[in-house]
Amino acid sequence: MTTTRRRFVLGVAALVPLPFVARRLHGAAVASLDRARLRALAEAVLPAELGSTGIESTVVAFGLWLDGYREGAELLHGYGTGEIRVTGPSPALRWAAQLDALGESFVSLPRAERQARLRTALGTGRFAGLPPIDRAPHIAVGLLAFFYDSPYATDLCYEVMIGRNGCRPLATSAQKPLPLARGG
Amino acid sequence: MRRVIESDVCIIGSGISAAMVAEKLADLGAASIVVVEAGDESNRAAERYALRRRYLMYGETPWRNDHLDGYEVDGIQSRSMQVGGLAMHWGGVTPRFSPEDFRVRSLYGVGHDWPISYEELDPWYQEAEVRLGVAGEQGPPELDPRGAPFPQAAIPLSYNLELLRGWTDKAGIPMWSQPSAKNSVPYRGRPACCRNDTCFPVCPIGAKYSPDHSWDPLRSSGRVTLIPRTVVRRLEVEGPGDRVSRAVAVARDGGAETEFRARVFVVAAGYVWSSHLLLLSKSSRFPDGLANRSGLVGKFVGGHRNVGGFVSLPLRLYPGINEQHSLVSKKFMRTPRGPRYLRHDLRVWESAAGREPRLGDAAGKLLLGDELLADWRRRATTGAARVRAYYDVIPDRESAVTLDPAKRTPWNDPLPRLSLRDDPVSAELRAPSEAAIRQLFETMAKAGDGTVLSTRSDSFQDHPAGGCRMGSDPAQSVTDSWGRTHDHENLFVVGAPTCVSMGCANGTLTFSALSLRSAQEIGKDLSSRG
Repeated sequence: MTTTRRRFVLGVAALVPLPFVARRLHGAAVASLDRARLRALAEAVLPAELGSTGIESTVVAFGLWLDGYREGAELLHGYGTGEIRVTGPSPALRWAAQLDALGESFVSLPRAERQARLRTALGTGRFAGLPPIDRAPHIAVGLLAFFYDSPYATDLCYEVMIGRNGCRPLATSAQKPLPLARGG
Repeated sequence: MRRVIESDVCIIGSGISAAMVAEKLADLGAASIVVVEAGDESNRAAERYALRRRYLMYGETPWRNDHLDGYEVDGIQSRSMQVGGLAMHWGGVTPRFSPEDFRVRSLYGVGHDWPISYEELDPWYQEAEVRLGVAGEQGPPELDPRGAPFPQAAIPLSYNLELLRGWTDKAGIPMWSQPSAKNSVPYRGRPACCRNDTCFPVCPIGAKYSPDHSWDPLRSSGRVTLIPRTVVRRLEVEGPGDRVSRAVAVARDGGAETEFRARVFVVAAGYVWSSHLLLLSKSSRFPDGLANRSGLVGKFVGGHRNVGGFVSLPLRLYPGINEQHSLVSKKFMRTPRGPRYLRHDLRVWESAAGREPRLGDAAGKLLLGDELLADWRRRATTGAARVRAYYDVIPDRESAVTLDPAKRTPWNDPLPRLSLRDDPVSAELRAPSEAAIRQLFETMAKAGDGTVLSTRSDSFQDHPAGGCRMGSDPAQSVTDSWGRTHDHENLFVVGAPTCVSMGCANGTLTFSALSLRSAQEIGKDLSSRG
């Protein structure tokens, strides 16, 4: 979505009910994400050993995650509290703008220069843990939070097949996980 | 005009205690059982994979309609009002209390004894373990006495937990597989656990027991009629006797009141709503509510607090093999740890604490690309354990559910208010107890050449219970040991509210065992009176 079109959508948004607007804005922002630039961003921030296929599948999965995000959805309420919380505003519009702001030339830059541009975009503050995905202050951080929250990232870190959150035979839980298959 | 529904037994609430009572009574041949539930139907089993997926992706609750708007209660520990209750999203952990929990006054001079012993409850624990399908490992008999083996072999210790057990052995603490209502083998038509790791909040395959596994067959076979979205507002006594004759309810969808008439009424609405209903049921004859001649309805409510922490260990662990399963020890439940009264359980889980991927390194420098993964790998070469101890908290008499003068339900009834307060002995012991548990974590860490990463004490009290405590003396209790109220021979309160104390381990199995014991007595009543 271009900046002009985004301004137009925001202007129209002021005239219709808020939840409807939020859904439309979210959908439009997701649809307008520059896929080539997102892919270039992923190549810059994700580990190279994911390979082209791994990076592509992460980009696709991230897009699906963003597409499926619902603002105001009730969050799990655990033990110890009666508070009911809901998901916050969709990050899609903000992230789409940040992706735009990286500029058209971003795609053609070498990886190191893309990273340098991202370092500038992310600022000079002190960095710590990864935030919850939807609260990532920048799309680059959102993508990192998304990837590193995945069971595959855990497998990649430990270089074994743990398969966290997957359906796995109970009997094999006592065994040391097998090495992660590579290549292909 | 009121709608009237008649039955042999009317159960108010549909959580795990209600499910145990209904299942047992149906097995005993009770002619008609009606269950009234204020909440909605819970989601269907077939929906749970998709709902779990959204929980994993976005943190959304898989139990969307599990509470009532307009029922915001001060001090409540958790909100769950749906068919199946809180046990629709429990973790499935099923330890027993220890024999000492029933005799703390006699043994240690604190709190109050129960009117029944562990040994008397043992057969009901066994029955609850069979009905829920508990997979467990027999601990050392001196620590873990039981009258019969578990119905299923234990959930096996994962690779990580075996390594962690080596560590706790070094620390001199015997630990074993946590008993859980999760199938280690296919059981009663439900599959074996496949380590999906979301026992809490939702098991997508039904390997973990939840009350729908009782309700679905009971309802589909016509042995139980369950009426959701219907709020019981009061119980009433007609005529000169003390027998409860009806429960007056209102459908949340509107329409006329419904009057439930039954030979026996069973209040199975948990630690808040059970007392709340009895308090709401006041009249000119019963100005303090039903079953409340002792003045103790709503009193002595509490749970156990915990101290938890994370320990860094020089072990190569692989987080995620079976994250929600744990080791357990009852070593510190059986005898107080020192001159002061302190009894607690101990659990150990695998953990990734301190080893999470991070955006910035120790100096706060931004990590991108290969740097981030390399930083994570470096920090993940050693492992961590999560440790936690629930310790016994003695509730004060005024630790209570009361009627809130400031808040009302949509039907203009006062909402409950929950104010927890420690007995003075427990209040005095809180700081030294928590310090002693922290010291235990330090000692354990040292035994494994590790370090304590962090500790914390939660201020809330887990697995709350009480409010209608059982006892032999009608002046000091609300029900007898069977859950029959002292004041009304056909009114029972079952499960959590009847507990005298809350022990130092998860309470659900105890609530279930007590409910089955109550059901046996209710069944006797029904058959003896034709």
